[in-house]
Amino acid sequence: MRTGHFKERTGQLVALSDSKVVWSFVALLFALALVAPFVLGNYQVTLLVSALIAIVGAVGLNMLTGTTGLISLGQAGFLAVGAYTNAILMMDFGWPVWLSLPAAGVVAALISILVGVPSLRLKGLYLAITTLAFAFIINHVILYAEWLTHGPNGIFVSGAKLFGFDIQKGKPLYYTALAVAAIVVFAALNIQRSRIGRAWMAIRDHDIAARVMGVDLVRYKLYAFMVSSFIVGIAGALISLQIRFVNIDVFALILSIEALAIIILGGLGSIAGAILGAIFLSLLPEAIRLFFDTFSDTNSSFYTTYVYEIRGITYGVVIIAFLRLKPEGLIGLWRDIRKYWSNWPLAY
Amino acid sequence: MTAFLELSGVTKRFGGLVAVSDVGLTVEQGQIYSLIGPNGAGKTTLFNLISAVFRPTSGSILFEGKDLTRLPTHALARLGIARTFQNLAVFKHETVVNNLLVGMHTHLRSDPISAAIFWGRTRREEMQARDRVEEIIDFLEIEDIRDHPVGTLSYGQQKRVELGRALAVSPKLLLLDEMVSGMNQEEREDIARFILDLKDELGMTVFMVEHDMGIVMDISDHVCVVNYGRKIAEGAPAEVAANPAVIDAYLGAKRSAA
Repeated sequence: MRTGHFKERTGQLVALSDSKVVWSFVALLFALALVAPFVLGNYQVTLLVSALIAIVGAVGLNMLTGTTGLISLGQAGFLAVGAYTNAILMMDFGWPVWLSLPAAGVVAALISILVGVPSLRLKGLYLAITTLAFAFIINHVILYAEWLTHGPNGIFVSGAKLFGFDIQKGKPLYYTALAVAAIVVFAALNIQRSRIGRAWMAIRDHDIAARVMGVDLVRYKLYAFMVSSFIVGIAGALISLQIRFVNIDVFALILSIEALAIIILGGLGSIAGAILGAIFLSLLPEAIRLFFDTFSDTNSSFYTTYVYEIRGITYGVVIIAFLRLKPEGLIGLWRDIRKYWSNWPLAY
Repeated sequence: MTAFLELSGVTKRFGGLVAVSDVGLTVEQGQIYSLIGPNGAGKTTLFNLISAVFRPTSGSILFEGKDLTRLPTHALARLGIARTFQNLAVFKHETVVNNLLVGMHTHLRSDPISAAIFWGRTRREEMQARDRVEEIIDFLEIEDIRDHPVGTLSYGQQKRVELGRALAVSPKLLLLDEMVSGMNQEEREDIARFILDLKDELGMTVFMVEHDMGIVMDISDHVCVVNYGRKIAEGAPAEVAANPAVIDAYLGAKRSAA
C-alpha cells in the first residue's frame, strides 16, 4: 500500500500538483495530443477538434454551473454570441483572427452582465428558465438584426490566418484548438485554486455563510457569469472557424442541453470531469455510428435517417444513467478506481 | 471613548411577531460575553442582527463607532467581525483547508485575471494564506482531517471547522452561536479551552449565545439574559444565576407571585 508523501514547503501546498507522476502523465498526454494529427486521418482529426472545442465550452459552463452552482441553459446563446462576434469582426470589419477570437470572449462576457444582473436574485430552476429565455432572445436578435448579423442568411467565415497558416482546417485548426483548450484549462485550474474559485464554491454550498465571510455575492456571481461566458464565447468563435459558416440553426437549444449533459456526466465542479465528459460525449455519436455500421447495412441507413433522434435519446439515457448510478460522474468513477488501486489488495 | 460593541433600542419585527424588542447592551473589548435565554427568546435573531444578516426594524448597532445596520453583510468580515452558525453552515463539498481559506477571503487581493495567471503576488498571498490556515489547523487540533471534505466529518468536527473558518477572518469580535450544542463532554471542554485561549492569548472578544449553562457560568465575564425578545437581566455569572427574574424565566414563575 502506498503511504502518504510529505510536503516540505508551502509552495507545494498551493501548487496544482507536486506529484511527479501526475505531471509526467500530463506531459505524456500532451505529447500524444501533439503527434495525433500525424497518425490519425483527416476525419478523426476533425472529431478531435470538435472534442477540444467541447472541452473549452464545458470548462466555461462548469465554472458557472459546477463551481458556483448557478444552472444555465443559456450556453447556446453565449456560443452564438461568440461565433457571431468572431464572424462579423473577421468578415465585415476585417479584423485578424488573433484579435477577433479574444474579442468574441469579451463581447460574450459583456452580454453576460445583461443576463447576470437580473439573475442575481434567482437560483435553481428560476435561473435556468431566465437563462433559457436569454438564449431565445439572442436567437431573435440574430434573426432580426439583419444589418449586423445578416439575419437568416448567416455568414461564411474564411481566411483566418495565423503565422501564415490557414487555421480553419486540418492540422493548423487542430493545433489552434489544442492551444486554446490548454490555456483555458490551465487558467480555469488556477482560478479554481484561488480566492475567486473558493468564493464561488462558498456561494454554491452556503451563500449566507459566504456573505458572512466577506464574499460580495453580487460581484462574485457576476464574475462567475463573465468568466464563464468569456470562455464559452471563445468556444463559439472556434466553432465558427471550424464549420466556416454561422447561422442560427447551428446554435439550437440542444447545444445547451448537451453542454449540461457533458458537465453532469463528467462530474459537476471538476475541471478534469468537464474534460472527460466533453471527450466522452463528443465521441459517443461516433461510437454509436460504428456500432450500427458494424452490424448491418440496413441498420446503417436507419442510423443516417434518424441520426438526430438517436443522438438526442442517447444524451437523455446517458444523463439519466449517470444521475441514477454515479452522480459524481466520470471523475467520481476515476476516483473510485484510483482508491481501489492504491489500496489493493485491501478492501479500503 | 466609544464602546467596542454597543446595541441600543434594537427592535426586530417579523410581521406581527416582535422577535427582539428594545434591547440595549454593551460588550467591552476582551470580554467573553454570553447571551442566554429560553428557546425562542430571540437570541439567534439578535445574532443575525449584529452580523447584518437581518436589518433591525429600529435601533442602532455600533461596532467601534460604526453603524452596522447600514452595512451590507459582506462588509463585516473586513471590519473584523466573524461568526459561526447555530445549525452548521459549512461548505460541505470542500475540504477543511478550503473552508478555512474562504475565511481568509478579505485578506487576499487577487482579481479573476491575476488568479487565472496565478503568478507573483497571487501565488505569494496564497502561500501566506495557506501558512495562516495551517496555524489555525494546529490550534484547533484538526491536522488529521485537513484534506477531508467537510460533509464527511462528524458533527463536532464540522463545528470545529466552522470555528476555524471564523478564526481565519482574524476577527476582533467573534460571534459564536450555540457552539457546543450536540457535543459530548470532551468536545465541550475542548471548545471552552479554545475560547479561553482566544481571549487570553489573542485578546479576542467573544460574544456567544449558549444553552450550556456549565460553559456559560465557567468562562463568561458577563452574562445577559433575554426572554420574549426583551433583556431581563445582566451582570456577572453568579449574579445572574441568583436573579429571581432569570429563575422565573427558566423554571416558570411561582403561582403565588402571579
